[in-house]
Amino acid sequence: MKKTSPLQYIMIYIALFLAVAWSIFPILRVITISIRPGDNLLTESLALIPDDWTFDNYIKLFTDHPFGRWIWNSILVTITVVVTGVALASTAGYALSRFRFPGRDASLLSLLVTQMFPATMLLLPLFIMLSSLHLINTYLGLIVIYSSTALPFCVWQMKGYYDTIPYSLEEAARIDGASRFMAFYKIILPLASPALVITALFSFMSAWTEYIVAAQVLWYKEMFTLPIGLKSFQANMTTEWGLYAAGAMIVSLPAIALFLFLTKYLIGGLTLGSVKG
Amino acid sequence: MNDMSNIQMSPRESNVISIIRSHINRNLKNRLTHLGHILASLLLLGSLLGAEKTTLHLWHPMPAPSRAVLNDLVAEYEAQHPDISVHLLYKENEEVRMAYMSATGFTEGGPDLLYGPSDFTGALVEMEIVKPLESFFSEAELAAFDPKGLTWYQGHLYQIGDELGNHLALVYNKRLFAEVGLNRPPETMQELIEFGKKLTIDKDGDGDIDQYGLVWNFTEPFFFMPFYASFGGWVMDADQNPTLNNEAAVKAFQFVRDMRDIHKIIPVECDYDIADSKFNTGEAGMLINGAWSWAKYMDSPHVDFGLAVLPINDETGLYPAPMIATKGYYMNPYLSGEREKQVIDLMKFLTSAHAQFEYASRLATIPTRLEVRERPEIAEDPIIMTSIEQVSHGKAMPISPQMRAIWDAMRPAYQNVLGGSMTPEAGAAYQQELAVQKVAELYEGQDADKDAVNITAILVYLAGLLLALWALYKLFVAFILPLMRGVPGVQVQESRFGVLMVAPAALFIFGVVVYPFFYNLVISFSNMGLTTVNDWRIIGLAQYGKVLTDSQFYYFFLKTIIWTVVNVVLHVIFGVMLAMLLNRPLPGKGIIRVLLILPWAVPSYITALTWRGMFNIDYGAVNIILNKFFGIEPISWLIDPFNAFVAVIITNVWLGIPFMMIIALGGVQSIPQELYEAASIDGASPWQQFRKITLPLLKPVMIPAITLGIVWTFNNINVVWLVSNGGQPGDQTHILVSFVYRAAFNLYRYGYAAAFSFMIFLMLAVFSVKFMQKNKATETAY
Repeated sequence: MKKTSPLQYIMIYIALFLAVAWSIFPILRVITISIRPGDNLLTESLALIPDDWTFDNYIKLFTDHPFGRWIWNSILVTITVVVTGVALASTAGYALSRFRFPGRDASLLSLLVTQMFPATMLLLPLFIMLSSLHLINTYLGLIVIYSSTALPFCVWQMKGYYDTIPYSLEEAARIDGASRFMAFYKIILPLASPALVITALFSFMSAWTEYIVAAQVLWYKEMFTLPIGLKSFQANMTTEWGLYAAGAMIVSLPAIALFLFLTKYLIGGLTLGSVKG
Repeated sequence: MNDMSNIQMSPRESNVISIIRSHINRNLKNRLTHLGHILASLLLLGSLLGAEKTTLHLWHPMPAPSRAVLNDLVAEYEAQHPDISVHLLYKENEEVRMAYMSATGFTEGGPDLLYGPSDFTGALVEMEIVKPLESFFSEAELAAFDPKGLTWYQGHLYQIGDELGNHLALVYNKRLFAEVGLNRPPETMQELIEFGKKLTIDKDGDGDIDQYGLVWNFTEPFFFMPFYASFGGWVMDADQNPTLNNEAAVKAFQFVRDMRDIHKIIPVECDYDIADSKFNTGEAGMLINGAWSWAKYMDSPHVDFGLAVLPINDETGLYPAPMIATKGYYMNPYLSGEREKQVIDLMKFLTSAHAQFEYASRLATIPTRLEVRERPEIAEDPIIMTSIEQVSHGKAMPISPQMRAIWDAMRPAYQNVLGGSMTPEAGAAYQQELAVQKVAELYEGQDADKDAVNITAILVYLAGLLLALWALYKLFVAFILPLMRGVPGVQVQESRFGVLMVAPAALFIFGVVVYPFFYNLVISFSNMGLTTVNDWRIIGLAQYGKVLTDSQFYYFFLKTIIWTVVNVVLHVIFGVMLAMLLNRPLPGKGIIRVLLILPWAVPSYITALTWRGMFNIDYGAVNIILNKFFGIEPISWLIDPFNAFVAVIITNVWLGIPFMMIIALGGVQSIPQELYEAASIDGASPWQQFRKITLPLLKPVMIPAITLGIVWTFNNINVVWLVSNGGQPGDQTHILVSFVYRAAFNLYRYGYAAAFSFMIFLMLAVFSVKFMQKNKATETAY
């Protein structure tokens, strides 16, 4: 690529500035609503910080609602899901990348196929299933469902990453006497850490932000996860928008923070296909 | 509980005990699994050793102010009954209905009590998931209620009301009235318009109206109903047939439209939240809203609260008749014995004079018990007086299931008229036609011959069996066999290890998906619908036939294809473009990259709702920006069908770019620089370099992402549903998945929806398998 000229730099920055403005503007609106007093949803002002800004909504979340409890519940569920998701995706992805066993192609395809049935139609039978397994009002049911939500994608992307790691590394380890599993665990897994981070991130997102299944499974307000807690501010006719926006920011913050720290892993780690290089 | 075991029990009773036991066990289990709350479980253990506590569940859709009263009442009840704890669960109106139906109709579980408006009745009775209550109340007890407060249906009493409510009335802001020299609410519709004009003010003279005369959620049929009635119309006749195509409908359509377009006293775009917010902040003189909302305005610092009945129609001499729904308690049918008694006792407490007085005195609701209404604190309350007067003009909301079909028919027709794509006459004809069709859909499957030997059923089951055997065989060949013996060319251990590594993930994924998948498959061959939830039968391919002969299917299929193609193409173009821009040394690159990823990091149900707000015609940031910087006139994003579809696409493009950008960034970064250098030396232009080097090397990275992107976008119900508020305007902003969702859960067409879903599934599966084979996406690099 040729050297970038100053004029080109200016053009690039202008383009990037527009793109950034477009990408963060709606999120800034959520922040603005969350610090507006009362339920004053409407304004023609584009100001980021309203003149009469206040943190009342944030305070109310914790004083009037068991928001702290919900955060804790969500953390508990999410951590379990992340651990399960990483364990399952890293092993399955490895096998699909390295072994040519019968059913391998079918497995890869069927992973994708599970994403194709309209998810809303799976809800009712899922509920019936959980109910007959006595998993209503438990976190176990949620954890199993959440773990498998992101799994097809994670397996695919782990496989894609393993594909970029030369086979010769394991062979060397095997020659030195390591078992198949040890070669995977000691040599390949550490090398695949960028992809593991991404799998963890996806598992995190699917557990941290989900509310539709959770709303069906959990009946106790004390057991709510953060997103259904948030959903309970949203009523048919009487949504408490200020509270909703404040809650939304709290749900988003950990996710934003994670993306912030993990961007460099995301790039290059997120390889669904084969990148040779 | 132990001393009960030596009493002879009916199976029903022992069943109840086991239910109670499992409830207690479940409680225990929950708390025990809750690692952070060991203390709580110790407490529970302690209480188990002492008296056993029964937990009764009550699900309700009460808004925050009523919820506060309910909480206090329940606390009081629990104090009186130490052996009982009442657990309340709030869900939105529609969600509480659906959740109750799933839990009670499909698993015989669910809460003990359900609170809701009387229009739940018809559907609950059809599904046989509500218990008749007449045997639990003496005649004297029932006589204490206003007959409107007790919901009878087909000869049985199903609901005990604690409030006559949901009726709309005219709320006005006395302060704003005084400012324009008015000292009373309008009494006729002519006055409504006249006053409205006085109250519609452009304060700063910039051409934008700053205060409207009247606001209300006028695009919803429920909020249109009073006007329809004031011209002499009503939704159905005595036989529950829809009566929507008449002069009253045409005139009422015209009337609302004129208020907006000719008199200009209402905003062009106004949903519930906008109306509510404008009135509450003193930016609107009058508001039409329901009894549930008034308490909020009384507390607003911007509102000097006044309440009036909806003004009389000068032309017909009729008062607008809002729909009145009794709100009250339904009981779960699977209760018996001791628990049933406890639940009835709780129900009696919650509908007692004491409880009703609490609601009425704190929230100005209309009690269903006559004695409460006569108490001076209530009888002399000016708000309750007006409210009762308004109710006397109203009509009871029909409780038969047909009402749901009628709402669904009115909504698109009415919204089309408001959007200008239909004349009032055409709208009236259209809503009648739709209503007749939807009522038929509601009862579909009922006429299937019950006694005939069902050959199709046998065939379907046989086919299902064969399919299951085939799947088992495949599973055996693919996974079990290699575990037992080697595969030619591959070492035994090798493949065994491979299979073992895949198995846990496969178990998880298929464990969750298999049952729901086959459940839908079976249901798709059945006649399952509102009236056949409990005795559905296999009827063969009829549901598939219905899907394929429905013109809506093709219409929304086309829309879905446009939706998917436009979205994915834009995601990829913008994603690759940004990746190319970022793929160079650039000060501040890190922070720019992070900011560009943000739309991905924030949960989409939050941002989708934000985008909906941003598309509002008056207050939405999109129009404000377009107007300020480009001088573009306000665009009606959400009420014009085409614009609404564009709005939904814009939102989803915004959401999807970061993912593709990240994938593309990973791709372009792995392309060796030497290739470009060599090309430069050979004199290739940047465009040629992009086409000959970047694109081909990016392709293997992008193809799997694009495949996934297509599947995800095709089935992305969330964004469409939230931005269009469930398909508005006129139920046209749908893609296949959102359309099927609406069909399944609004009109209970379970069989139809399952067949529809299978069509979606098959189309996607065939497409992506072909697409991937063509592009060899499953191939590894080695």
